[in-house]
Amino acid sequence: MTVADGLAVLRECGPDRTAETVLLGEWLLAQAGLSGEGLAVTVAPGSARDSVVLRDGRVSGTAHRVPWARDAARIAVLHDGRALVVDRAAVTIQPRVNLAGDARDTVLFDGAVARSGPGVDADALFLRGTLMRIALMAGALDRLYEITVRHASHRRQFGRPIGSFQAVQQHLVMIAQQAALTSVAADTTARRPGGFEIAAGKLLANRAALSAGRAAHQVLGARGTMREHPLGQLTRRLWAWRSEYGDEHHWSTRLGAGVARAGADSVYPAITGGSTVVSV
Amino acid sequence: MLRFAPSELTDAELALQAEVREFLDAELPRGSFAPGLGMAAGRDKNFSRALAARGWLGMSLPRRYGGAERGVVDRFIVVEELLRWGAPIRYHWVADRQTGPLILRYGTMAQRERFLPRICRGEVSFSIGMSESEAGSDLAAVQTRATRTDGGWRVSGTKLWTGGAHENDWCVVLCRTSDEDDRHQGLTQLIVDLRAPGLTVRPIAYLDGSEFFNEVVLDDVFVADDLVVGEVGAGWAQNTSELAYERAGPERWLSTYLVAEQYLREHGATDERAEAALGEAVAGWWGIRTLSLSVARLLDAGQAPAAEAALVKELGTRFEQEVLDTIWRLVPDDLDPAAESLFERLLAAAILGAPSFTIRGGTNEILRSVAARALRA
Repeated sequence: MTVADGLAVLRECGPDRTAETVLLGEWLLAQAGLSGEGLAVTVAPGSARDSVVLRDGRVSGTAHRVPWARDAARIAVLHDGRALVVDRAAVTIQPRVNLAGDARDTVLFDGAVARSGPGVDADALFLRGTLMRIALMAGALDRLYEITVRHASHRRQFGRPIGSFQAVQQHLVMIAQQAALTSVAADTTARRPGGFEIAAGKLLANRAALSAGRAAHQVLGARGTMREHPLGQLTRRLWAWRSEYGDEHHWSTRLGAGVARAGADSVYPAITGGSTVVSV
Repeated sequence: MLRFAPSELTDAELALQAEVREFLDAELPRGSFAPGLGMAAGRDKNFSRALAARGWLGMSLPRRYGGAERGVVDRFIVVEELLRWGAPIRYHWVADRQTGPLILRYGTMAQRERFLPRICRGEVSFSIGMSESEAGSDLAAVQTRATRTDGGWRVSGTKLWTGGAHENDWCVVLCRTSDEDDRHQGLTQLIVDLRAPGLTVRPIAYLDGSEFFNEVVLDDVFVADDLVVGEVGAGWAQNTSELAYERAGPERWLSTYLVAEQYLREHGATDERAEAALGEAVAGWWGIRTLSLSVARLLDAGQAPAAEAALVKELGTRFEQEVLDTIWRLVPDDLDPAAESLFERLLAAAILGAPSFTIRGGTNEILRSVAARALRA
């Protein structure tokens, strides 16, 4: 499966564990020459709070916000440019969740035996994780748009569909715009996964998560806030993914610094040429 | 569902882009001219003719009229480079963007032969005579009236916000030629000589004191029959098709681009606030440009993406304003519109120009209604 295929699956099927196990975990192991066991592996995304040390082939310390660690067979962390892989049975898991209730566990390593492999760039992992979040967010926004438009067409108040009110139409248009922006960001990053495109794409997806999420809840009214309503499944994940793999501050400063390094004459060529013109 | 498919530029399109960039570097090197903001940039007939000599005016028109028979995307590439450069495009802007395609589509053979080659050579300029005091967003309410006379029409009424009427040659005037039950019927487009007897142009001072816009008073102005565009009474449909498809072009999201570029040129991005502002701006342009380009691709494929175009214009013009606010917030001092700093002058001009971004060519509120019609389950 190519990355683009994987991203298409994520976008279409939404949140499952494919992102963490296949597209990130298996990829990381392949990079490190550790693949081939066929067991589900999850990857610690690397938090500033992490404290992982390697001594005599054994891992100690804590990794935070590890997706689905409780259910994985193996857990991979990055340490000094090497991938360390330990068995789930050799660590202690503190179950944690994100805004959507999805597992983002704390993993306590206490001298667990690790196999390790070379040559993994932490930033490459971070970019790849971001790329997957963009695809997931684009898919969620596509569905959020559909749910909102359908509701506005069918729900009647004051004797007419609420979508016939201009104030509601303004929400729909904004949601359509934000979904479209994130959609083309996901398409483009899948085809050309450079630093510029990923930075810009995640920024657009993050903005959309906030503005379209809020507008969609406004259109759906009280019923959209019911725990079992599909809208909340989407917005909670969008808000969780917004923070994962770089918030707006992270990506805007990184993108802006990259463009600034290239200089004023390169700003427009960067907008049209992306990572073929600037490195971010 | 809306159709937005991102695409890469082809090698031929990238070559055109490189050609335009080289041309601008050579003809209008940075520092050699006063760059302007998008459609509000300067007017320079010689520059327009230099573009014409490269085949970059009337690009989509047939060769037999002097055009290049190139597509919407090719024109998009040329126009975005001109706009982001701040090039003086005002002389040819309306003719190239609007009047040429209008005359090709609805004009008579004689009108095509008379106007199109001159548009392609950069030898004729046009204004748009749509708005009136009682017909803004509600354009079908125009009261300018044309009545039949020997060999043509007598036109009376007052147009407002007619850009460049004091300096252009012709104006395409939307006027009422008959009263029908459906008020969208009975409207007609006439090509009016801006120097005709009975026509008076009075400037309207804009916020910044500039006098680009005008009131055009027509007092029994004679317009010959051979200057009626298309069908008498069908002006509404012609006019809306003219508006719909040109809505989502780069002029709808590049009006404040130079402010950001010039900020970086003069100040650099020396702290996280400036980096974040630049990053936000660039990401926005990247995304909106992708949408805008995809509308151009749809047009080249023979589609009529009216809703998509309205959506992009609404998004792009709001973005032009947001990006301006983001850059403005980086500047602690009050602004001098006549400052020595080009950045400061551009920022001041953009702040005063910005209210018009979301009004001209259809207010954002109307655009949202247009787009919303396509958003039905």
